[in-house]
Amino acid sequence: MKIIKQLQKFKPAFWDHRDTSGSHPHTTFNFRQKWKLLVLFTSFMALLPLFVMTLVDFSLTRRIIEDEVKTSMSTILSSAATSISFSKDLKKSALDYIVQSYAGENNDVFIVNEDGALLTPSFYYGRPGTSNTFNVSLFNENSGIKEDVAPDGNPVIAGYARIPDSSLIFVLVKSKKWVTDLWLKPRLKLIWYLAVSIVLILLSIMGTATYLVGRIHLTDRKRTEALHHAEYAKKLASIGRLASGVAHEINNPLAIINQKTGLILDLFTLRKDFSSDDRLIPLAGDVLDAVTRCGSITRRLLDFARHMEPSIEMVDIREVIEQVLAFLKKDAEHRSIIISVDTQDVIPDFECDKGSLQQIFLNLIENAFAAMEDGGQLAISIKIKKKDGLIITVADNGRGIAADDINKIFEPFYSSKNDHWGTGLGLSITYGLVKEIGGDIMVKSKIGKGTLFTLTLPLKTEKKHKTAAKHSV
Amino acid sequence: MSKQNAINEISGIQAYHKFNISKKNTFEMPSRVLLVDDEKEFVLTLSERLQMRDMATAVVYNGKSALDLIHNDAPEVMIIDLKMPGIDGMEVLKKVKQTQPEIKVIVLTGHGSEQDKQKCMDLGAFAYMQKPIDINRLSETLKKAHENITADE
Repeated sequence: MKIIKQLQKFKPAFWDHRDTSGSHPHTTFNFRQKWKLLVLFTSFMALLPLFVMTLVDFSLTRRIIEDEVKTSMSTILSSAATSISFSKDLKKSALDYIVQSYAGENNDVFIVNEDGALLTPSFYYGRPGTSNTFNVSLFNENSGIKEDVAPDGNPVIAGYARIPDSSLIFVLVKSKKWVTDLWLKPRLKLIWYLAVSIVLILLSIMGTATYLVGRIHLTDRKRTEALHHAEYAKKLASIGRLASGVAHEINNPLAIINQKTGLILDLFTLRKDFSSDDRLIPLAGDVLDAVTRCGSITRRLLDFARHMEPSIEMVDIREVIEQVLAFLKKDAEHRSIIISVDTQDVIPDFECDKGSLQQIFLNLIENAFAAMEDGGQLAISIKIKKKDGLIITVADNGRGIAADDINKIFEPFYSSKNDHWGTGLGLSITYGLVKEIGGDIMVKSKIGKGTLFTLTLPLKTEKKHKTAAKHSV
Repeated sequence: MSKQNAINEISGIQAYHKFNISKKNTFEMPSRVLLVDDEKEFVLTLSERLQMRDMATAVVYNGKSALDLIHNDAPEVMIIDLKMPGIDGMEVLKKVKQTQPEIKVIVLTGHGSEQDKQKCMDLGAFAYMQKPIDINRLSETLKKAHENITADE
């Protein structure tokens, strides 16, 4: 289990990549399969020549060594046969002596008659007089080298030479194992080298493949991310256009209702012609109140729509937060969430994209709402940081974020297991927006205690605001 | 009145109201206010309400009529809508400020954006207000415009 866990560390990010965006078929790309294909193909191409060369070398060496052995055997055989032919009339013991002079460490030499009976002792075939016979049917020529199996089952190479002018045959037997060892041992060393280099080659191929596919994966993810961002922005922009269209269209009839009712009210109050009924004036007042409410709604819609396009203007951060809170007020009341906004310093207006700020706070506060139970507490505080920056904290006492997740919450498509972050884009968009306006965002959290987002924003000059204020009446 | 309307129709100026100066003009309000808006119901009602507040008003429904009118009979203050067929409010504002900069222009629109506001203020509008407007706020602004004129003189 431990090993598996250790191995998990080396698992590249793309290995478990799942296409999180079902609606985007162009992003379906099986990275694992691509990686496997790449590794297989490269390994095959790199290792095939290596294997072929080794095999060729293997069989070549084997043949050469075996030939060499056979050549040396023939030399011994012919010289032995010649020397024995001169002394074939000698005593058996002398014959033994001659024969044994050819015996080496790996040579088994002996003499057999035409029936295959041993005349001198043999290592493999036993002593003379035993029932062991040498299969002379192999020997159909004057001399040669044949393969045979010794009585103990070991394969052997047997060389033979008929001794001229006699029926005796001189036999030289070498263990096949010895011959094999002769060429196999250095070959084994080579095979070791081969194995090590195969491992090295495979490792480097896998490393390269992992790196390459990892890069592709990263690029692909970035692209998808950008695409999502763009699509999201587009969606918001069209919602914005819709909102502004509705607001504009409603504003005109609203203005008429406003003026007509106002006129009725004027007729009652200024001319006093119809002041007989007490209820009419309050009624007209009610209509006007409703118009004012409608007007504030359309204005807010317009405000929202306007900020779908970035525009730098002087903003009052408290006003922005209040506006966002106004959107969420009903929800907060409904869930009896207590919201406090704490401003310790005098916060000057500063140049910023109001829409971005609105969206940042909307996302952060909505997240906080999602993380909290009914009756939770949301605390927002605004502070000046060294005169050129603002520190805004948004703290909730919700369920918190697990330590494992906290490093990933700004990643796109990252959604906590409970899936309370919705699309998994909210915080990454927030992060992007904060970075866009030159700020920074950090998060601290404790499971069961709550989450604290700390937002740092740069403060810029407030010169423009003064001139604008002069105009507004 | 009907005679005047007939003349207007002949001259192509729509629904031209001669400045109603029958009311006693109080000194703190502008004596002559021209309202320019293509939303007839709205602008006629607004005009009537301003008249009830002792202002002499005239109403036109498009930018061209407005420019034609102020040539001959300059108002103290103009209230214009931005989005109108033909010459739009922004254009009217620009022309007025070029030829008769002494006329105070109040922009009253239902299509306000921050950029529009900035543009209007840069062009020299006196105020930028959004529909639906509270009559008291509008009166206040008209009063300020009047004070501004008196101060300039």
